[in-house]
Amino acid sequence: MTGASFGLEGVSVRFDAFPALSDVDLRIDAGEAVALVGPSGSGKTTLLRLLNGTVRPSAGAVRVDGERLDEVSRRRLRDIRSRLGFVPQDLALVPNLRVVQNVLSGRLGRWSFLGAARALLAPPRALVREVHALLDRVGVAEKLYQRTDRLSGGQRQRVAVARALFQEPSGLLADEPVSSVDPARARDTVRLLTELSSERRITLVMSLHNLELARAAFPRLVGLRRGRVVFDAPSDDVPAGAFEALYDLTTEELLGDGA
Amino acid sequence: MTAPELPRRPPAVGVRGLTLLLLLVAGALSYEGLGLTAAGLWPNEGGLAVAREFFGRALTPAWTSEARFVPPGTPPLLLDALGAAGRTVLYAAAAMSLALVIGVVLGFLASSSWWTLGERRGIGRTVTGALWFVARAVIAAMRSIHELLWAVLLLAAMGLSDLAALVAIALPYGGTLAKIFSELIDEAPRDAGEALRGAGAPALSVFTFALVPRAAPDMIAYTFYRFECALRSSAVLGFFGFPTLGLELRQSFRSTNYGEVWTYLYVLIALVIVFDWWSGRLRRRLVTT
Amino acid sequence: MSGAGRDLEIDRLRRARPRDRFVRRSLFAFGALLVGAWLVGGFDLGDAFSEQRLRNVDRFLGEIRPYPLQGEAWDHGVFLEWARGLWVEKGALAVGRTLGIAVLAIVLAALLALPFSLAAARTVATPEPYVPSGRPPTRWNRWAWRGLVGVTRTGLVFLRALPEYVWAYLALAILGPTAWPAVLALALHNTGILGRLYAETVENVPTGVPAALRGLGAGRTQVAAAALGPALLPRLLLFFFYRWETCVREATVLGMLGVVSLGYHIADARVRGRHDEFVFLVLLGAAIVLAGDLVSTWARGLVRRAS
Repeated sequence: MTGASFGLEGVSVRFDAFPALSDVDLRIDAGEAVALVGPSGSGKTTLLRLLNGTVRPSAGAVRVDGERLDEVSRRRLRDIRSRLGFVPQDLALVPNLRVVQNVLSGRLGRWSFLGAARALLAPPRALVREVHALLDRVGVAEKLYQRTDRLSGGQRQRVAVARALFQEPSGLLADEPVSSVDPARARDTVRLLTELSSERRITLVMSLHNLELARAAFPRLVGLRRGRVVFDAPSDDVPAGAFEALYDLTTEELLGDGA
Repeated sequence: MTAPELPRRPPAVGVRGLTLLLLLVAGALSYEGLGLTAAGLWPNEGGLAVAREFFGRALTPAWTSEARFVPPGTPPLLLDALGAAGRTVLYAAAAMSLALVIGVVLGFLASSSWWTLGERRGIGRTVTGALWFVARAVIAAMRSIHELLWAVLLLAAMGLSDLAALVAIALPYGGTLAKIFSELIDEAPRDAGEALRGAGAPALSVFTFALVPRAAPDMIAYTFYRFECALRSSAVLGFFGFPTLGLELRQSFRSTNYGEVWTYLYVLIALVIVFDWWSGRLRRRLVTT
Repeated sequence: MSGAGRDLEIDRLRRARPRDRFVRRSLFAFGALLVGAWLVGGFDLGDAFSEQRLRNVDRFLGEIRPYPLQGEAWDHGVFLEWARGLWVEKGALAVGRTLGIAVLAIVLAALLALPFSLAAARTVATPEPYVPSGRPPTRWNRWAWRGLVGVTRTGLVFLRALPEYVWAYLALAILGPTAWPAVLALALHNTGILGRLYAETVENVPTGVPAALRGLGAGRTQVAAAALGPALLPRLLLFFFYRWETCVREATVLGMLGVVSLGYHIADARVRGRHDEFVFLVLLGAAIVLAGDLVSTWARGLVRRAS
């Protein structure tokens, strides 16, 4: 299995009048692990959502494995998406289902409606074994049959990761998946994701608030500010001052357009 | 020179206070318009006699039939009442099963998540949009006619038949279930559904396996509550000749066997209270947050 | 982990999964009831499609054609004339009365429900609402309050357990054919429902403000007026309109007992065998129910948005 590759060519995204991203060029090669850093509103989430085609660019092209997303059929887009795991900020699990069902739902994109009904209501043993193995890998195997809303925040994160992995993805997109847990838990989860990325050759793109964490865990950092790429370099080459520049908003900016 | 603008003082009586006032006025107007008098609340002599006799039996409901001629071998009254209660439950349950089918099918069609989830364009979008509109219209039509009016309509059309009773309850209840189901599904958080759409899942699967499960506890609790209402409706259908508690009640009242009336009333109350307790407890268990 | 080991582990977790027995059994019992009703009920459904019934339906469908048009070609003018006549003669007044009954009944129910709801709310109807006050209450005092809550709640259950139609039937026999039986029936049943809903709302008011007022020495009525009232008003109004909607539905129907609402004319047309009038009036009833729904939805939106 080889990882997905992504390419953004001169991409801009506008929501009504608000420019979320302006003229972004970015290449992410198969198997890479990249962290997107920058303050809230800098365009990290928009960039991630461009990569699986849930946001349409206003200008420019998005490529996944060389295919332009705005040129493929709807059917093909679904196929592409079903190979891209997504871990959103709010995790987006169904709270009143059991963990096993939430993980199984990762593969809905590949099942017919009836197949999905069978898999979720009376999952064959082979699938349950797969789910259990994944939960084991992310460290919450004990919770297989628990209701999802009875889990702690950190455990839920792991379930969301397991659901994305169950897609057997070639790329994994994670949108600040650790913003709502304590620092120690956050470090563990980020480490887990980077480990999984290198051990399964999954391309990993994650947006992060915590700069120290990003620098420690990722070989490549992309800094975003007000919808533009400010730096894109190996972590060791990013000077400490660059981080501060990302977050340092001048008074003028704060009072100006409130971006 | 312009004075600095002061924050506007909120009105002394807000929209809600005004609403409250208007309601009281509307109540008073209705009282006038209906030509009611406080004296009308006190029964005339004939009514007073009935009231005295009727309420006199409140604490002494009948255990055996009070009819003048009781054929030998008649079962005790309580058994009779329990039989009528059983039939009341059976009519309610059978009608509810029909209503549930109507409610699930129309409720899913009438929920707007159902078609906003997809990225349909052109003809597909028109078809789903039309289906949604038709479902809403059908629901409104079924709901707006009261179950007893449905019953009278069906009685006029086909005469006394079990099907008339079942359909009379099933149509308005199905419509109401459909309305509430669609609202519950539309109000359920959509984060999981959108995440799964992003993972390439087709709209129908997302709807069924991510949106519906989220709304399911509320849907079940509401169905139980509606069943309690169906029991009452089923009992009342007896007044129109169907063999439920209402029929016995009316017959006993007409023959001025007030002790029997109280027996039937207490059985009906007990029946409703049992289901009220059941559905209340289930709701607390299901809807935890 | 080996395959067999994993299977054992999965089985163990599955056996240990948390299950809510009550919910599972309830669902099972309810499902069994719905299916079982068809098996035990002995409903004669085939009979509904017998030849004679179908002939009945056929005749009925013929008779709902407006009377002046029966056996004639369709004519819009005649139809409108007929509809206008019915509306002027019966419809307008009956619709007005139906709405009047619904409004008066729900206002009475809301007024009656307020004191009951306070007496049924465990946070208020206790010797020491919200905060301890002075000497601890005696056991007798405690029991008296508990008794009040119990009696009020039981009373409310009784009120709502009996359908409006039964209440109206009994009241009609005692009070005679004015609008009172319908108004009372709706008011009593809805007092039971609103009383319960209001009591739950009172119990769910966050304790902060009322506790603070009690701490300042405010009495029960003062707390109710100054702290509970403002917190409750929006929800109380929401419930009020929600129940008014159902009152309109029921008020239409109660007329069939012989009270002056739309139902009276419906029953009358039915008895006279004038199925054209009958269906017209039923549809008129549907129209006011729909209109009531719209008004209630609009009013609830207004209440919800007002801050």
